[in-house]
This record gives sequence, structure tokens and C-alpha cells, in this order.
Amino acid sequence: MWKVAVVGAGTMGTVHAQAYVNMGNVDLVGIVDIRQSVAEGLAARSGTQAYTSLAELLNETDVDIVDICVPTYLHKEYVLQVARKKKHVICEKPIARSLEDAQAMINACEEAGVSLFIGHVVRFFPEYCLARDRLQSGTIGCVGTVRTSRGGEFPTAWEDWYADIDKSGSVIVDAMIHDFDFLRWCFGDVKRVYAKSTVGRDFPRVDHAFVSLRFENGIIGHAEGTWAYPDGFRTQLEIAGDQGLLLHDSDAAAPIQNYRRSSGVANAGVAVPESPLEKNPYQLELEHFLDCLMHNTELRITPLDAYKALEISLAALESIRTGQPVELGGVE
Amino acid sequence: MMKVGIISFAHMHAQSYAECFKILEEQGGNVNLVAIADADEERGRNAATRFDCTYFRDYQDLLATDVDAVVVCSENVLHAEMVIAAAEARKHVLCEKPLATTVGDARRMIAASERAGIILQVAFPVRFNSAIQRLQKMVVSEELGRIIAIRGTNRGKNPDGWFVDQSLSGGGAVLDHTVHVVDLMRWMLRSEVKEVFAEVDTRFHSIDVDDCGLLLLEFENGVFASHDPSWSRPKMYPTWGDVTLEVVGTNGVSVVDAFAQHLTDFGDTALPIQHAFWGNSMDLGLIRDFVDCVTSGRSPFITGMDGLQAVAVALAAYESARTGKPIPLAQMG
Repeated sequence: MWKVAVVGAGTMGTVHAQAYVNMGNVDLVGIVDIRQSVAEGLAARSGTQAYTSLAELLNETDVDIVDICVPTYLHKEYVLQVARKKKHVICEKPIARSLEDAQAMINACEEAGVSLFIGHVVRFFPEYCLARDRLQSGTIGCVGTVRTSRGGEFPTAWEDWYADIDKSGSVIVDAMIHDFDFLRWCFGDVKRVYAKSTVGRDFPRVDHAFVSLRFENGIIGHAEGTWAYPDGFRTQLEIAGDQGLLLHDSDAAAPIQNYRRSSGVANAGVAVPESPLEKNPYQLELEHFLDCLMHNTELRITPLDAYKALEISLAALESIRTGQPVELGGVE
Repeated sequence: MMKVGIISFAHMHAQSYAECFKILEEQGGNVNLVAIADADEERGRNAATRFDCTYFRDYQDLLATDVDAVVVCSENVLHAEMVIAAAEARKHVLCEKPLATTVGDARRMIAASERAGIILQVAFPVRFNSAIQRLQKMVVSEELGRIIAIRGTNRGKNPDGWFVDQSLSGGGAVLDHTVHVVDLMRWMLRSEVKEVFAEVDTRFHSIDVDDCGLLLLEFENGVFASHDPSWSRPKMYPTWGDVTLEVVGTNGVSVVDAFAQHLTDFGDTALPIQHAFWGNSMDLGLIRDFVDCVTSGRSPFITGMDGLQAVAVALAAYESARTGKPIPLAQMG
């Protein structure tokens, strides 16, 4: 049994805690959140203890793995704290808000001899995995262009931290990084980035971005990220090759569309799609990490992958700031 | 009765426009398609027979007749010479897009039409698509609030033939498929493109012109946009291509697929899945509008300057791809 603790009882902490409850080989030893009632609420739902500080949990439990689900700008301090105790680390994406923080986290975990796993969960979404499998089988030939889209309504969270670009990095660092990571997994490194977004244009709590990507292998990419819709969440992927075309649209792929009468139900009057799976991608991601730890095999997402995805996001922000394309160097 | 000639059937849209004139004739419209000129004699004679027109090998001979107006559907590089000749012969002109292959040519064409006092309209038929018209009204009436961004696509299959011969087309996918959507964006936003950044390449087909690209655009009014003009649809794609727009505003988002009004037809044919469009014909809307302009003498809804601006943006995209820099439109003169 792996003893696991979750730090941060927000949206993602809740999803991870539920996944651990579902897993047969995990003993969830605690939930940490500085908001006591929030920690207690999730702990009660997950059948475990609540803590209001990570230090307290590290002192009082014999934890093997700490899963960090706090806001992006706080990742470094929590990850370093866990690494100092020589515990394995799972950390939500993006790895950090800056490359310096990301490097410090990677170094700390290496020095401590612990694993660092960044939750680029799109690599565990079956539709994205299947697209990559088909791509690699060569059925669509040589790829010319690729397009991604991700987003929906503006996220609501603790202290509205998503609305502060210094903390979240906007939709580009927080959400589009999923697509940048997936595209790197499929097509390798990006050579050049040019981007436009609402950053600097004074649209409070509305975020929309277009990022032009040119890969080292010549593929032309377009990524769209949005927190500008009034509701919902959707993803799209299009990979065009010289012998075929792959399309994914989460709206079209949802097998269930619910249309509920307004009688006090959440989202009443709004069509709510559902796409149920035996195991959700978050559970698959966490199981993968435990499996890699158990068998000492390579992680599907290395810390360097997470670093490079962040590098693309930050290059996009720099392009928006300067109005110029940004060439990515071979940062190692 | 307005008499019309069509100069060249090189562009496949000539067939559709000719059919539209015939439909208007049958509906008792005040128009008559009477003449077809085409340097390709077989193609021209076939069209003349089919549409019951007089055939001319030399378009100058067609211009010497008493037609009131001409539609120019020649290879792109020939638009300038033919439109200017038509203007000098005092014929109103509907010119297939792109208006020209250089901004200088477009300026000369506009100047010639102004000197002659004739109507120069550019064929941007997508402005007559019902869904696009509804979107334009939503944008102009500010139903979507203040517009923030627009994502456009106009993808297609490889059109082949003269389209992929630089010396006749003046450019590949980026020229062919940028002008429609840039025109729609300019029209809705009532603002000009300020700056263009683009990636352009040939990655899908063994051809000498570009077949894919991606444009990021900044408008004078602060709206930003992206556009994909690639010939990236495979041969078996169920329709010719797409025109889509996602318009993001402060009050919400509108996502428009201009050709969503279709039946899906699954068969055992060479093209096993086909989209059969049942919406209103945008080509008929375009032709009806042109006829109305000429017969009523009103100003065209789509002007030569609209054609010029769209061409300038496409050419700026090529310049950006060549230099690796965003190009201010002022530089395109």
C-alpha cells in the first residue's frame, strides 16, 4: 500500500483524492488545506485526516508520496518542502509559474533522490492517446498542420488566483500548456512561437488566446485557449496529414447530453454533456505514477517535458508582450 | 434588360455564376447572359452552348459588344488586364477573388473603374451566406458585446490546375483562402487589419505553391484574430472544405459553420460520405446583388477597395513568412 497525501483541497485536489479512494493500493493518509473547513470537508468525504499545514502532515504521518494540488505560483515552496523530507512528489501542471522555479524543483527532487511527476493528464485522455497512436501508425501520412482548442468558462477558485497573471500565467500557462505538452509528445520540440491574447487588453475575467507554433520538423500549429465562454468546457484537436485527417471534438464525442428541467438542479436549463469511462484520466495518470515507482520504469511525462511545455507557454506570453515571434533555444 | 458576358471559365465559379444568371432569367429578372469569352476554345464553346451564349475567343471582341456588364473568372494574374479593359469599354465588372495578385494592380483596377464611372464589385460570395449574414448582424448590433477576438478557417482540398501554378495564380492556399475570411472579418468589424504575422509552407502536396499557413492578425480597433487558409482537406473529405468563424465578445461567443446546413449522405460511391448543402445559395445572392447594383445604379455592397484590402493582407502574410516578422499593413502600400 502506498501512503499518499493530497495538498490543496480545491478542484484538482478533490479529483485526485477521489481517484485515490478508488484505487486498491493507496492509503490516503491526509488532506492538507490552509482552509480548515475545506480540508475537513474533503477529508471526511475521502475517509481520511485533515491537516492545515504540510509540515504538520509530514511530521505526523509516514507518507510515501505527496500530491501537490495548490495554485501554480505556490508549487515550488511545497515541492521543495516535500523533497527535503525525501518523499516522492506529484505536482499539478503547470510545473511552476517560472522556469527558475521549475528548475529549482527539478534539482531539489534529483538531489533528494525522489521522483517528480507533473500532472500533464492529457497524455492519459484516451481520445488524445488514440490520436497519437494513429499518428504513429502512419495512416494519415506526413503531418502538415495541427490545431488544438481548449477552454470554456472562466475558472473560479481560491482568492480568484486564476485572474492574476502573475500567479496563474493566464489561460496560456494554465490550460494551453496541456496542448503544448501533448503536441511536443507527438511532434517534438517547437522552434518558434507567436501569440496574441487578451493579456494587456483590459478584459477583466475574460481570457482568450491564439498561439502560432512552428515545430522543429516544420509542422505548423495553432493552439486556442479560452476562458471567455459563459459556460461549459470543451476540447478540440485536428491533425491534418498528407494522407488523412484526424478530428476530435469533445462536444461531438460526448455520448450523453442531459437536458434538465429547472427544479433546483445544478446547471438547470443548460445542456450538460457527460462522457463516462471506467476510470477517468486522472486516475489513470496517478496509477501510472505508482506503477512506475513500483517497477522503476520511465515516467510518461518527465520533469524535462513539463519544463519544456512551460517554456512554450512563457514564450507565448513573451511574444504577446513584445509583439514579436520568439525562437525557442535548445534549453536543457 | 441588362446584358451580361462572362470572361473566361478558368475559375470553376464561372459555371455557378452562369447558372445563377440563368435562374434569374427564369425568374423573370431584368438580366440576360448573352456572351462568353474564353481563350480556351473548347471550354468556352462548351459553356456557350450550355448557357445559350455567343462565344468569343478574344475577350476584347466580347467587350466590343453591347453587354452592360462582365464577370471576370480568368486566372488570377489576368484579372488586372481584363478588368481594366472592361472598365475602358465602360462595362460594369464583377471580378472573381482575389481581385489581383499585387496591390499595385488592384489600385490600377480601382482607378480605371473610377475613371470610367463603372461598378467594380469583387466576388466574395460568403458575405451572402445566411449564417454569416446573421453573424454580421449580431456583431454590428453588439449582441455579442464588444468584440475581443475572431478565429477563422477556410480550408479546402488541393484545387490543382492553374491554381498551383504561381505564374497564373500569383500564390497558393494563403492567397486563395485568406481573402474570403479577411473580407468577412473586415466587414463585420468595420475595421482594417493593422498587422499580420504568418507561417506559410508547402506540406501536403507536391506542388510549387504554398498549400498551408496560419495567420495571426491585429485589427485597427484592437480585435485580434487567427486564420487557417490551408488546402489541408484530404481527397475523401465529405465536402469541398469549410468556412468557420468563432467570434468572442464580452457578452458571449458565436461559433458559425457556414456550411453546417447539409444532409450527410452515406453511400457506396467513390466518395462514401458526402455533405449535401441545403442552405440558401450564396452565389445566387452575390449575382442577384450585382445585377441589382447595375440595374439600379447603386453602389456595390462589396467594392474594389474591399478586394484590395483582402489581397494586401494575404500578400503581407507571405511577406511575414519570408521575413519572420509581423508586417504592418501600411507597408503593403
